[in-house]
Amino acid sequence: MTECKQSQAVSAYYDGELPEPSRAALEEHLSGCPLCAAELARLEKMSQLIRARDRVEMPREVLDRLHRSVDLQPKIAVLHVAEVFAAVAASILLVSTVWLWRISTARDAAGQIPLWETAAVASQDPSGVAAHEQLAQWIVQDLSRKNGHD
Amino acid sequence: MATESGHWRSTDSALVEKAREGDDSAFHELVDRYASFLLTLAVSLSGNAADAEDLVQEAFSGAFRGLAAFEGRASVKTWLTRILMRQAARHLRITRKRRATFLPLEAAADAGAGDASGHAAADTRLDVMAAIRSLSPEHQEVIVLRELQGLSYEEMAQVLEVPRGTVESRLFRARRAMQELLKAYLG
Repeated sequence: MTECKQSQAVSAYYDGELPEPSRAALEEHLSGCPLCAAELARLEKMSQLIRARDRVEMPREVLDRLHRSVDLQPKIAVLHVAEVFAAVAASILLVSTVWLWRISTARDAAGQIPLWETAAVASQDPSGVAAHEQLAQWIVQDLSRKNGHD
Repeated sequence: MATESGHWRSTDSALVEKAREGDDSAFHELVDRYASFLLTLAVSLSGNAADAEDLVQEAFSGAFRGLAAFEGRASVKTWLTRILMRQAARHLRITRKRRATFLPLEAAADAGAGDASGHAAADTRLDVMAAIRSLSPEHQEVIVLRELQGLSYEEMAQVLEVPRGTVESRLFRARRAMQELLKAYLG
């Protein structure tokens, strides 16, 4: 389709959306441009075709259904609030469970005194060679266990 | 004259305010005012009455839930239209995937020996509806909002949340596409 570069302005002009002074300039252009004049005529004809459709009226029973759905909305809103509260409660429960489990694990770890510490405290004869060797062995065993070499 | 819900010529904004305060009858009045306007829009976009009624119901439900968020910067009509357009866009994305039917417009026009006046008015309306629905969603929206609902460019920009210049250029391209689809009628 051959078209003038003013075609888009014709569309806005047709809709009454072209501000002055563009409007006046386009009106002058229209009088001398058959392409734009034809474009304007087509827009008019197309609008008539589209607007020839019947206006759709909302049936009474559908309107009643819409009113009933509005009346139900507050209850739905309450349900939404309940859902939000349930989700928050579940989250708190989950976080609390994890937190308690971690505290319990930390306590267990803290309460488990390494064998070498017990032995070192209990050792009555620090000068004995056999006792030192046994203590060193326990320390190595304890460190190996902690490092996951068992 | 008092309306069925008792709101005597209240403005739309006043009705929204009352509905926010818990007055359901105020929202009923908004439903009565805009149901047919939104239904016409929904039928044009969805192509059938059943889907259109569902879209309108979803739009009003969404509006009711969103009452607190309505800031009043756009008119109530624009706000409701925007909600419906969003619902319709989602609906269109789903239905376009499964829709395979398309009315061959040129063939239909040729059947009338090239003379559009030879067609029954109902056939013409069907062809026009088919042409609108065969447009891209963006073009479909601007054609329906402008040609059928009579919204201004500014209102369309608010509904579609795009700049006014975008509305103008999009509408121009949509009209070009429509002219091509309806050329048998436009000569």
